[in-house]
Amino acid sequence: MLIVENVRKVYRVKEKNGWFSGKWTEVEAVADLSFRMEPGKIIGLLGINGAGKTTTIKMCSTLLTPTSGTITVDGYDAVRHDRLVKSRVNMIAGGERMLYWRLTARENLQYFGSLYGLAGSELRERIQSLLTQVDLLDAADTPVERYSKGMKQRLQIARGLINDPRYLFLDEPTLGLDAPIARQLRKHVKELASERGKAILLTSHYIQEVEELCDEVYIINKGRLVAHDTPAHLTQSLSQQTTLHVEIPALGDTLDHDLRQLALRHGGSLDISLTPEQSWEITLSAKMDLTAPLLSLLAAHQSAVLRLHTKQPTLEDVILHMADRRGA
Amino acid sequence: MKILLAQLWAEIKKEHRHSFHSKMIYFSLLIWPAIMFVTAYYSFAPFRMGADSPLARFIDPDQLALFLLTGYLGYIFYWCLVQSAWQMSFERQAGTMEMIFISPVNRLTFLYGRSLSSLVQGVWLFFCFVLLALLLVGGIHASGWWAIPLAFLVLLISAVVWGGFLSVLFLFSRDSSFLYTVLDEPMLIFSGVRLPPLAFPFWAKLISLCFPLTYALRLVRSLMMEGAGIAAVGTDLGLLGIVLLLLVAATLFLVKRAERHMKETGNMVLY
Repeated sequence: MLIVENVRKVYRVKEKNGWFSGKWTEVEAVADLSFRMEPGKIIGLLGINGAGKTTTIKMCSTLLTPTSGTITVDGYDAVRHDRLVKSRVNMIAGGERMLYWRLTARENLQYFGSLYGLAGSELRERIQSLLTQVDLLDAADTPVERYSKGMKQRLQIARGLINDPRYLFLDEPTLGLDAPIARQLRKHVKELASERGKAILLTSHYIQEVEELCDEVYIINKGRLVAHDTPAHLTQSLSQQTTLHVEIPALGDTLDHDLRQLALRHGGSLDISLTPEQSWEITLSAKMDLTAPLLSLLAAHQSAVLRLHTKQPTLEDVILHMADRRGA
Repeated sequence: MKILLAQLWAEIKKEHRHSFHSKMIYFSLLIWPAIMFVTAYYSFAPFRMGADSPLARFIDPDQLALFLLTGYLGYIFYWCLVQSAWQMSFERQAGTMEMIFISPVNRLTFLYGRSLSSLVQGVWLFFCFVLLALLLVGGIHASGWWAIPLAFLVLLISAVVWGGFLSVLFLFSRDSSFLYTVLDEPMLIFSGVRLPPLAFPFWAKLISLCFPLTYALRLVRSLMMEGAGIAAVGTDLGLLGIVLLLLVAATLFLVKRAERHMKETGNMVLY
C-alpha cells in the first residue's frame, strides 16, 4: 500500500527585483495532504490548475522530496529508501514528451527497461508483451518521430509499465487525444487495475474520465484536501442545487409573480429572460428538484411548455464549487 | 556488476543512436580539427622556428606538426566525449531526464555512459590521426606496439571522466551552458594543445594543472613522440590517475547534491 501522511511541499522562489537584488518567497504547493493507494483501485486526484496535483504525483514517485510528512510504499519510506520505492512505481504523463523520438518504440523500451536492471530474454519478452498490449507491434521498429499522437501516448503507457510497477501515476494521460483513442486508453487503464491489480492514481481535466474510472476521488485546492469520496457520493453530497430550464411561449404578470413565490418558498433563485424567438426562458435553481411543482404551476396557468430540461450537478460543478468556496 | 555493465551499454547505445544518426557526422568530425590544425600550424610559420628559437627549448622544431596534431587530437577527443554534457538540456526539454531519475539506475553509470557514447567517434578519430601521422607527417616514435593502444586508453578514460564531471554540473541548472565558455577555451589554451605548458608563466602552469587534458597530452606525446617506456611514463600515469580519482569523487559527491537539489526545487522540469 502507498500511504501519504500529512505531506507538505514548499518551494522557495526567487522574485527578481532589478539586476542584482531579489527576494526569496515560499510557495506552498501541497499542504497537509493524506491519502492511500490500494492494489486494484484507481483513485482520482482532482483540482483546478495549480491545485498541487502534479507536485503530489512527483512526490509519490520520488521525483520531489516532501518538505514535511511521510510517504511510504509497501512500508518503505520514499525519501530514505528511494531506490527500493523507484522499482515499485512509475509515471505516465499526457503529451508527447518523455520519449526519445529518434529511437524506435523497441529501442525506447529497451533503454527504459535497462534503467530498471532488466536485460536479455526477460526484457525482450516484456517488450514484446507490452507492444502487443498497446497495439504497437507492427510499428515497433519505426522511429517514434513518425508516430501519431495516439501512438506516442500508447508507447508512453508501455514505457510506464516496463518495470511492472505496483503503483502507477497517470498525469493527464489522455490529454489532447481523440475520443476513440482516449476511450481505448481508459479501457486499458481500467484493466490494469481490475485485472492486474495495479494501484493507480489519476489526474485528469476530463471529468467524465474520472467519473468512469475512479473508485475514489480526492479533490484538492491550493494544495489542501477539500473533499474525499466516491464520485457519485461527491456529486450527491456536495451538490448545490438542481437547475431547471423551461421555455414557455408567453408570460403574464400573475405567472411571473407565482414563479417568484415558488422560488422564494424553496430558497431558490429565478431568472426569466426573453429569447430571440420571443419566447420566455425560465431558469429555476434550488436545493431540491422543483420539476413537479413548477409543472403544476404552469399547468394551473394553462401555459404550454416548449422545452424543459434539468441539469444535475456534475463532478466538475463540485470541483468548481469547492474551489470557489475556498477561494472566497 | 552485470546489471551496471548492461545499463552502461544501454546508455551508450541510446545516446549514440540519438545523437549520431547520420554517417556524415563521422566525416565532419575530421574537417574541424583539420582546419584548426592548419590554422595553428601556419600561425607558427611567420616566426623563426630554428634551433635557437624560444620555442625550441620546449619542442623539437622538426616535430612541431606532430606536436600540434597530437594536441588537437587530444582536444577533439575530449570535445567529442564531453559534448554529451552540453546535450543534457535535451533531456530536460524532452522530459526524459525525469524518466531517468524516476528509475533506480546508478547515476554514475548514466553519466559515464553518456560520455562513452562517443566511443565510436573517438576510435575513428584516433585511427585517422595515426594514419595521417604515419603517412603524411611522420615522426611517430613509440617504444613498442603497446604504446599506441595505451595512448588511446589514456585519452579515452580521461575524457570519459572529464565528460562525466561536466555532465553532473549540467544537472544543477538549465543555465549551466556558460560553463562551456568558462572551461572549454581555457582547456584549449592551458592544456598544452598548441603550446607546451612548460613554456607558460607560473600562474598559467597552475591553471594547466586543473585540466586532465594536460596530463593526458603529456602522456600521449611521451608515448607517441618520445618513445617513452612504461617506467618513464609511470609518474605521469600516477598523476593522471590521482586527478581522475579526484574527479570521480567530485562527480559522485556532486551527483548526490544535484539530485537532492532537483528534488527540493523541482528544477528538473525547467528548460
